[in-house]
Amino acid sequence: MLPNVKVVSLVSVGRHPQSGRARRAEQDGRAVELGLKLASNELKVVHAGNAQEPVLRQYAGMGLSSLTVLEQESNCDALSVLTTFLHENKFDVVLTGVRAEGGESSGMLPYLLAEQLGWPLVPRVADIISIQGGEAEVLLALPRGQRRAVKVKLPFIASVDNAAQEARQSAFGPGLRAQLKVLDVASVVDEAASHWQISAAKPRPKRIKVVKAKTAADRMKAATAKPVGGGGKVMKDETAAEKAQAIFDLLLEEKVVR
Amino acid sequence: MSHLSSNDSSLDNLFRRDPRAEWIARNRLHPLHGEMMQAGSAEVRGPSGLLRKNPHVIGFIGPNGIKRIDRANISSAAIGGKKRSNEAKEVLLPLHIVENPDFYIMVVADMVGGRLTGHDKDILGLAHKLVAKQNGAVTLVCFGENKETQCDLAGVDRLIHLEGDEYDGFAPEARLTALQEIEAQYKPVHWLFPDSVHGGTDLACRLSARLGERLAAQAWQVNAEQTVCRGASASHDILRDTPRILTLLEECGDAIDETRHQVLPISVDSIKQVSPNVIDKGLIAVDSNAVPLAEAEFILSAGNGIHNWDQFHSTAAALGATEGASRVAVDDGFMPRERQVGASGTWVTARVYLAVGISGAIQHMQGIGQCDKVIAINTDAGCDMVKRADLAVIADSEEILAELTRLAQEHSLSKNQEEKSDAA
Amino acid sequence: MILDWLPPTLIGVLLALAAIGAVRRINLWRAGQAEKVDFLAGLLAMPKRYLHDLHHVVERDKYMSRTHVATGGGFVLAMVLVLFIHLFGVKSEILAWALLGALVMMFCGALFVAKRRLNPPSRLSKGPWMRLPKSLLTFSITFFVLTLPAAGILPEGTGGWVLTLVLSVLILMSLSEMLFGMTWGGPMKHAFAGALHLAFHRRSERFGGGRSTGLKPVDFGDGVSVKEVHGVAKPTDFKWNQLLGFDACVQCGRCEAVCPAFAAGQPLNPKKLIQDMVVGFAGGTDEKYAGSPYPGVEVGNAKGAPNQIITNGLVNPDTLWSCTTCRACVEECPMMIEHVDAIVDMRRFLTLEKGETPNKGAQVLENIIATDNPNGYSPASRTHWAADQNLNVMKDVKQADVLFWVSDGAFDMRSQRILRSFVKLLKAANVDVAILGDEELDSGDVARRLGDDAAFQSLAKRNLATLSKYNFKTIVTTDPHAFHCLKNEYGDFGSDALKGVEVLHHTTFLNRLIKEDRFNLKPLQGSKVTYHDPCYLGRYNGEYEAPRELLASLGIEVAEMERSRYRSRCCGGGGGAPITDIPGERRIADMRMEDVTSTGANMVAVGCQQCTAMLEGVVEPRPVVKDIAEILAGQLIEEAH
Repeated sequence: MLPNVKVVSLVSVGRHPQSGRARRAEQDGRAVELGLKLASNELKVVHAGNAQEPVLRQYAGMGLSSLTVLEQESNCDALSVLTTFLHENKFDVVLTGVRAEGGESSGMLPYLLAEQLGWPLVPRVADIISIQGGEAEVLLALPRGQRRAVKVKLPFIASVDNAAQEARQSAFGPGLRAQLKVLDVASVVDEAASHWQISAAKPRPKRIKVVKAKTAADRMKAATAKPVGGGGKVMKDETAAEKAQAIFDLLLEEKVVR
Repeated sequence: MSHLSSNDSSLDNLFRRDPRAEWIARNRLHPLHGEMMQAGSAEVRGPSGLLRKNPHVIGFIGPNGIKRIDRANISSAAIGGKKRSNEAKEVLLPLHIVENPDFYIMVVADMVGGRLTGHDKDILGLAHKLVAKQNGAVTLVCFGENKETQCDLAGVDRLIHLEGDEYDGFAPEARLTALQEIEAQYKPVHWLFPDSVHGGTDLACRLSARLGERLAAQAWQVNAEQTVCRGASASHDILRDTPRILTLLEECGDAIDETRHQVLPISVDSIKQVSPNVIDKGLIAVDSNAVPLAEAEFILSAGNGIHNWDQFHSTAAALGATEGASRVAVDDGFMPRERQVGASGTWVTARVYLAVGISGAIQHMQGIGQCDKVIAINTDAGCDMVKRADLAVIADSEEILAELTRLAQEHSLSKNQEEKSDAA
Repeated sequence: MILDWLPPTLIGVLLALAAIGAVRRINLWRAGQAEKVDFLAGLLAMPKRYLHDLHHVVERDKYMSRTHVATGGGFVLAMVLVLFIHLFGVKSEILAWALLGALVMMFCGALFVAKRRLNPPSRLSKGPWMRLPKSLLTFSITFFVLTLPAAGILPEGTGGWVLTLVLSVLILMSLSEMLFGMTWGGPMKHAFAGALHLAFHRRSERFGGGRSTGLKPVDFGDGVSVKEVHGVAKPTDFKWNQLLGFDACVQCGRCEAVCPAFAAGQPLNPKKLIQDMVVGFAGGTDEKYAGSPYPGVEVGNAKGAPNQIITNGLVNPDTLWSCTTCRACVEECPMMIEHVDAIVDMRRFLTLEKGETPNKGAQVLENIIATDNPNGYSPASRTHWAADQNLNVMKDVKQADVLFWVSDGAFDMRSQRILRSFVKLLKAANVDVAILGDEELDSGDVARRLGDDAAFQSLAKRNLATLSKYNFKTIVTTDPHAFHCLKNEYGDFGSDALKGVEVLHHTTFLNRLIKEDRFNLKPLQGSKVTYHDPCYLGRYNGEYEAPRELLASLGIEVAEMERSRYRSRCCGGGGGAPITDIPGERRIADMRMEDVTSTGANMVAVGCQQCTAMLEGVVEPRPVVKDIAEILAGQLIEEAH
């Protein structure tokens, strides 16, 4: 825990990828976890939305004594109420997920907050290593497990990546006992979004290999050719060196060995 | 030595007859007839210049004595090879020229490793769809080193290439400033970004927040009027008016492949950079083995058939692979539990999964269901893993791992030398 | 005689001390939570419970049962008579002779106790227990000599004051053990606490041949204050009669001998756990514990107090998570102590209050909450396995004779083979069967054993609501865990959905079909088959015969394992143990497979998908593992239509 650093984690209602049911959002849970690491009991957790949402209890079950809810309807934009809230309460670090699991999930919220508050934004954070002298050392998550270190002055907003420490288990009892502080806020309806047509996601067609053949024979050939990798090759009687070479060639071809 | 002129005909597209060859072809008793038909089995021209097939020479006698016709031409690799070298002759695609464009569409590419990714190319293709035969220029905006040599084939009409220390590494703020300047100067009708973890999304969001334009994220069907983008963790499709800024999913469009483009560099003047708030301290060295199993791209996985564990670990290190294990190997205490692959362990998404000494219990096969390429090393040719594998090697693991380690070391050695000579 | 007053005084004083001890001990138990008990009925039933139920368990070890009858019976009788003769001074030769007889009986018993202690097996506790035969012998000899005058065999005053003094010292020694020790925590405590434990047992249904194996639900009701902590955090959070039960332990170590986790070198020893509970509610450390430790954990470092959190210093959570809830310890305990209840109670605290379910536990519970199945599969894919099975779905047919409860095996490719085999048999027998399809949810077994009773109750209530919509007479399931939940645990939630419904395991149901000649089977030849009793079918529900009869109907003579039926060794798959995955020296499934191999069988029949998965997880070569449904389906003679 770092003394005198005021941390707030913004949480939303997640969506389970298989069942589609509401749940603790993966990245928001990690944002709370990181917040607990930085500020332990002093961490503030804020949700803009429905105070009756049972999922809030799942966040609270991570050991929060209270949770602040900026109550508003589901068709309202979280940006304005959160901006007001962050203006009124002075924080040093604001943690969010990268993208919400419900709604538009554009991932714009942290950017808009940063823009409105005039704070720097640190995207896709894997960890916040230290905060000293008004400056934080932050690890960014890059694809395939790579990391980059950056320094940033307080206050700042960070979006927490899936590579951050996993959210701790939510315990039923503490979640039930945590206090929900519901604040009345002036919410703004998201007008633009109301014009959108929302439907269940259509499965995207897999791109097939289109052969731009000039002649009928070429098209025939492409259509009847044995698909690559259909059966699988078995090497039995070759020498060990040949077998290893075959494997290695495939690794090179797949560009996993560079 | 006789040879058919038809082979050369593609050079000048003029058809020349060879009466002698035709005569030999007609005369089945001619001593050179067999040879001639063999060589010319690919193409024979009839008297009018039409392509003729000789049904008597097509096909071959299969192992069971029955004549087989190989329509896919798999066995005629030698002839095919020769043909291919003919066909692969550089074709000069038509040049798409844009003069004094009426508008610009900016594509801010990821350029991972300084080259256009497949994702970038798809977006360039899509950008041309948005231009829709009008006099607009698809402009590639790229930062830092540009090693791409085929921008012309990818559909780049104009190129804004910004180089300099300020754009290297992690520099979204400097890049944003540059994009703002471009916006001011060129007023593009669209800003297209790859929806990727390589920085495309980040930059798009920054620009969108700065310009106050609401972007469409995870778009995958876009035309000039309407956009379909994914929402709610890809469970919804949102149909909306196409905004100015879009982040696009992979395969959102088809890459350009029928035209060349000008790649005319255009300039951006006077980008006033201020010192960034977030200061890059560089990449951190990450052990390939510290990568979480679910994220790993290449997994070397060990099962009951591994006896020399030191060797296994060193092979994984040499190949730069993330280590995985079967349940048995974990239960026996050779590998930690978080390395277990399978239904009861981690479901992996690796592109290449190299299973050593894993026979493939059903739970394990479930866990590797999403892997693209599976390679098996096993002593049992009948096991499920070998059946699943794209490449299976029936051998003792120790020998093969030793060879693989050697190959990997040689490979990295030769690469190092290459790099040194590059640098020199 | 100047010292005549000494023996009666000693007896009186020790009796008084014992009484004080008894009050003190009772107060320790009373620190536990209230639980409704019928005191009078319990006390009245106690002798029968002792003589019948408890003795039935002790009887499994003939040597010990006879020894105990002689020693214990002799002592109780002798002690009563001692009070009459030596304390109250009743002059009766008949009573004196009776006392002599009782003492002789006790003496003989004590000799066998002593013999047992010459080279005791490792499961027995040592320490004060090694002293006990000496005390027993001393008691019987001392009072024998003391009673001789009263019986008229020796004249009054024989031996003079020297003998009286010697006898008084011996009385002091033996009665300290027998009376003072009984209520102040000596080995004889088991007699005092044990008797009361039998009288006030939390599961009185277990006596008289009954069975009570369902876990008691956590009360989340409206009456419960929000501030209340769920599960057992401190020793005083146990019900008072649970505390009493812990005190009844005789440290015979039978539980230890049958515990699969202990044998696998995981840090659990049921006997030590019960002793630690005693340390907890009585306060102190486990220094005096003289039995086998938790494997890999040193004895002497555990400290406890009635209001101290148990997992802070008394018991390591790993100990609690090692349990497979196989109930072997409970089945074997002569004092009928409920180990599994206690373990799950403490797990409830760890999961519901601390959020510390180890390893994949947290993820599994999260999945159960979000997808109603432990592995987080899409709830909409629950019926995919049956795409080609042409099964009726309750939603469409509304009623059927038999409801086939598919359980979460529906998502597992291996278990699906069992399901398909069973469906094949049902079809061959023309059973009017339907499934719930996607309406079915996980039974909640795993959630409950992992301590998340909130998730379990939510699943149970929703399942019951679904079941109440349809008409059926019988539920059949291939999963003994779901079977147990449906049959024994769903009854606690005030639903009529299962009223008058018979819940059956598929082996029981198939056995009935065979007896009714509903399908024809050809005998299985060329296989030597053994049968593994799943814990949740056998010990939890007492079904040992149906699977064996089924195998017999195929002409199979089961090559029984040494540990079979009620002594069957767990496969290691129960109680969420594969999820919490506490490391040990060996794997339980490997040990069970060794049991199988030692019979020489080349096939092991099971009746549980979890057992199938665990046993098939053993490295080959090993015997083939098949569910009984699979074996039967393979032998089905299909009639040509």
